Amino acid sequence: MASVSGEHSHPVVFTTQTAYPFPSQKFMIPISWRRYQLSQLVNKALSLPKPVPFDFLIRGELLRGTLAEWCQEKGIGEEETLEIEYFESVMPPQKMASLPQEDWVSAVSCQHPGHVVTASYDGCVRLFDYSQKLLHTSAAHTAPITSLCVIPSSSTSPDSLLLATASHDLTARLISLSPPSSPEVEVTADANSSQRATSQTTASLHLHTAPLSSIASDAVGSHLLTASWDSLIGLWDTSVPATDEVPEDATDRAARKRRKVDDAASRPRRKAPLTVLKSHTARVSRAVFTPGGSAEAVSCGLDSTVRCWDVERGLCTNTITASAKPFLDLALTHSGTGALAASSDRTVSLYDLRGSATSVTHAGASLAHPATPSCLAVAPDAGGGEHQLLTGAYDGAVRLWDLRSVKAAVASFKVFEGRAPGEGRKVLGVDWARGVVGVGGEGGVEVWRVGSGQGERAFPS
Amino acid sequence: MAAADSKRKTNKRKAVEEEAPAPAPSVFSHDVGLEMHSEDEGGDADSEGAEDDGEVDEWPEIDTRSDSEGEDSGNAEASEDEEEIEGEEDEDDEDDEDGDEDSESEANTEDDELHVFPKAKTVISDITGQPKRVYPEIEPEYDSDSSTEDTPNRVGNIPMHWYDDLPHVGYDINGKKVLRPARGDELDKFLETVEDPTAWTSAFDKKAQMDKPLTPEELDLIRRLRENEVPDANYDPYEPTVEWFTGKGKEEIMPLSAAPEPKRRWVPSKWEKQKVMKIVRAIRQGRIVPNKPKTASTQSQFYAIWNEEPSNQPAPLPAPKPRLPTHAESYNPPEEYLPTEEERKKWEETDKEDRERDFLPQKHSALRLVPAYGQFIQERFSRQLDLYLAPRIQRVRLQIDPNSLIPKLPSPSSLKPFPVYKALQVPHDRQRVRALGVSPDGAWAVTGDESGIVRLWEVLVGREVKRWTFPGRIGAVEWCPRTDVCFFAVGVEEQLKFIIPPNLPAAVLTATQSVLSPAQLPPPPATPSPVKWVSTAAAASTSDSTILTVDLPTSSGLPKQIVWHRKGDYLATVSGTEGQGGVWIHQLSRRHSQAPFKKVKGSVQQVLFHPTKPYFFVATQRYVRMYNLAEQKLLKTLTPGCRWISSMDVHPSGDHLIVGSYDRKLCWFDLELSDRPYKILRYHTRALRSVHFHPTYPLFASSSDDGTIQVFHARVYNDLMTNPLIVPLKILRGHAVRDGLGVLHVRWCARQPWLVSAGADGEVAVWCS
Repeated sequence: MASVSGEHSHPVVFTTQTAYPFPSQKFMIPISWRRYQLSQLVNKALSLPKPVPFDFLIRGELLRGTLAEWCQEKGIGEEETLEIEYFESVMPPQKMASLPQEDWVSAVSCQHPGHVVTASYDGCVRLFDYSQKLLHTSAAHTAPITSLCVIPSSSTSPDSLLLATASHDLTARLISLSPPSSPEVEVTADANSSQRATSQTTASLHLHTAPLSSIASDAVGSHLLTASWDSLIGLWDTSVPATDEVPEDATDRAARKRRKVDDAASRPRRKAPLTVLKSHTARVSRAVFTPGGSAEAVSCGLDSTVRCWDVERGLCTNTITASAKPFLDLALTHSGTGALAASSDRTVSLYDLRGSATSVTHAGASLAHPATPSCLAVAPDAGGGEHQLLTGAYDGAVRLWDLRSVKAAVASFKVFEGRAPGEGRKVLGVDWARGVVGVGGEGGVEVWRVGSGQGERAFPS
Repeated sequence: MAAADSKRKTNKRKAVEEEAPAPAPSVFSHDVGLEMHSEDEGGDADSEGAEDDGEVDEWPEIDTRSDSEGEDSGNAEASEDEEEIEGEEDEDDEDDEDGDEDSESEANTEDDELHVFPKAKTVISDITGQPKRVYPEIEPEYDSDSSTEDTPNRVGNIPMHWYDDLPHVGYDINGKKVLRPARGDELDKFLETVEDPTAWTSAFDKKAQMDKPLTPEELDLIRRLRENEVPDANYDPYEPTVEWFTGKGKEEIMPLSAAPEPKRRWVPSKWEKQKVMKIVRAIRQGRIVPNKPKTASTQSQFYAIWNEEPSNQPAPLPAPKPRLPTHAESYNPPEEYLPTEEERKKWEETDKEDRERDFLPQKHSALRLVPAYGQFIQERFSRQLDLYLAPRIQRVRLQIDPNSLIPKLPSPSSLKPFPVYKALQVPHDRQRVRALGVSPDGAWAVTGDESGIVRLWEVLVGREVKRWTFPGRIGAVEWCPRTDVCFFAVGVEEQLKFIIPPNLPAAVLTATQSVLSPAQLPPPPATPSPVKWVSTAAAASTSDSTILTVDLPTSSGLPKQIVWHRKGDYLATVSGTEGQGGVWIHQLSRRHSQAPFKKVKGSVQQVLFHPTKPYFFVATQRYVRMYNLAEQKLLKTLTPGCRWISSMDVHPSGDHLIVGSYDRKLCWFDLELSDRPYKILRYHTRALRSVHFHPTYPLFASSSDDGTIQVFHARVYNDLMTNPLIVPLKILRGHAVRDGLGVLHVRWCARQPWLVSAGADGEVAVWCS
């Protein structure tokens, strides 16, 4: 601001949707300013007690260089008034922990506070706490686990954790995990932690005839959705039945005969689906419930469609057909009206689910990636806001996007930096909860802190 | 004159002569003669004029003779005599002849009065007794000499104006001057004409220098000439016909020739008819239009002549002008134009054709010291040669946009989807990966490398799920195309191993086990085969080990290719050894193997099953042969024209075949069309290693030792008329070339436009759209 003398300036109007409104009047801003100066201007003008960094959007694009560069690039004249929207900027992600594992990690969940649950290709579910300590390893499957979700339990008991895993062995399983109740005890009794953290596979879900690709639960934890390669989606409830609902296969029976010592009580109950959703023509890569409840679901598949389901009746209510976009992962925005789908043509597209089934749907926004985006996670409500999402790609980068500025990622960070150059760094799963991002992939698990800087729970570093 | 008149009277002249005064004819004749000769032949000869005079003088004499010798009666008598005498008497021949001759001569004289010679008579000579010709005696009288009755002026035929200044007009025969007659003035002349009634019939005689009256003959002649009559008064144009050869008694009774009358006289000509018919036919067929409309009639009578387009013919080019002289050609050029000694020597040493200019500048102090130009003739000659030999053609430069020559291909962006980027890469411990198979549902891939490790991994994630280790290299890996069962075959040294992948649903697993290891073995074939089928029991089998092993004959080498029939019951293997025994066809349901060929010419490179028909393709080094397995005969031999075939694949429709070769060519065969390639694509810079058609998408890919994979769009049409559309889409780079080997194998994922490629650098890549 001091170096205004002899410099050009540009008329600017500031707008915002944040809690820091700015008087709507025209300002003459020196065109050599960058984001930092603009953020300082807003902070000083509002005389905030604690400096809040802001990011600035000009016509749907984040300001990255100086104002002059931006104007020159767009061919904006000096007289034209620019409308600049600002919002609290995302702090650069910080790496909190790195948990290398032997095998690839296909899914990570940070939904349970204080813990990170990982599922890996060796068929084990592992429980870590924030101090990078492995609390428990549960060999849930004999085949690679492809997906994992933490079922939010209605009874808010912290000591029991219900997990659902989907695997290549054609089943999904419900695992109840009992983490140690308090971290203080855990620190003192480090050696026998495995005794306190116990797990039990309570049920196995039998429907699919091909490897499962995803499993998801609704917000209240009463229902599950499994998606499989055999183009079916199964709807399940989370209750553990008293008896087997599905007769055993011959092979399973033969295998069990060999293990005669198996206790009938500890054996997981075989569970049948409530409904089977059939409409996809190829592999279903992901099926999730809408945030509103368990009445509607959205799925995507390699047949380049995103389908909305009436879960109770088991009908497909809406089909969004993209051209040549095999979808790999799906996430819904918080309002439940937008679906973000990652496809193998290196884009993540935003589709509006409210459109009628007949109308041709176009992607609202398309986020271009340099490599295949394999997984994505939208920001939790408390974290950054409505418009942010994380994508993990096969090039080993996790990118933070703002849907208002789709040209380039807001921030990106490389994971698995420690791996040798020849080895892959594919990111296979991301999860984002409460400012904590878990990234699973070829190199194990990494935990990062992403958010506006006010993570409500301090992560011990 | 008086003497002449008297003479004529003695010659029994007729009334005409009597009427006319005697001197008149002579004067007239002179006059006529003078006029003629003075004009035309004046300088010819004087003697001629004298002879003419003689002749002119003679003819009155002839007249007299003819008149004197019997008039009309003589004529009549002669004719009568002739009629009477003919054919009757021979003895009086001579007399008759005489008489005839006489009459004839008389007739002749009547006709032709110019016959001046006297008639000879033939008499019997008294002395010899022979007939002799006797001419009449010439009477030596005064009248016989024509000179006597001539005019007194004897100057001859001379221009009479020579005597204009003299008092006389000539000389007579005695040399006395003929004096000029007195002539009055004009008034006298006029009075004379008034007084003399004959003045208007008189004419001026030059010789006499006076007017002489014209004779009545001359007047008659003038009248005849004036009235366009025949000038001769005695000529009768209406003479009665003398029937010499016709008439009564002279009819020709006998024909001239005894030959019968030829047929052509009355038969119409055949050749004429043919000619006419030819024309008629042409007219009927319209080749000849009889009444061709005239082109002139199409154009209206009046039209605007400027309405026509101006001719677009370019005007003839003018000949190039000779170059104008410059300073160097001057007789007194500035010093800087004069050649130095070196330049002069150099100029003289160079050939005439290579010289920059064909002269050396020379300096002369004055123009009069300039010698004659020595090269003048040569220069003119070469200039003429230039003008004559150089055609003056305006060459129009072709304005062709080079882009228009490029065939119209759809843009690759309109042909999406096709693989464009490398989605992931699966390392294989830097071992060459020669074998690659993709499951029929496109979800799994199996690779076998040269260290004997077979990996099973997920295509979309690249995660290795399971691995099997075999001793020796892996030659080939191929999934069974059946969907109700799930297994793949691995070719290792002299063996085929069948492996069931893990995590199968129970139904599929049972079916697979029953296929590969049935509880009841089928009956062994009648003819023992050198190939042994060994399988482990279904219950004991796991996915860790092979469930079925097919032992190929010993020393058959490594199976370098395994190819499945579409139905998944048959599979064919090509082993590495040369000669026979390389190709085996195995049948799973009968657990039987057979070698389809007793003897194969050349070493077999690849084999293929036709997707729909019982056909079998066998590629040797240079040819691709197509056999009908059901009928066991050779259908056709395809000639790609390349030196060493490396790979081939058949289109899912079965009508097209692509063949890749080590000499960088990819040949597209339309099997319905020809034994020759429909198209030869030379896009790779090194040898091709593998080609593959996508099972559902219109795509095919070729991999090469140059480390690239090329993706083509290949749309095949159902109608036979439309040629396949082949569009190069994308060159996928990313594999490293190691030891001269690039991408060894490519396979498409079913259902998705994804490509899996195995490279010699130990990487297997998945390319996504």
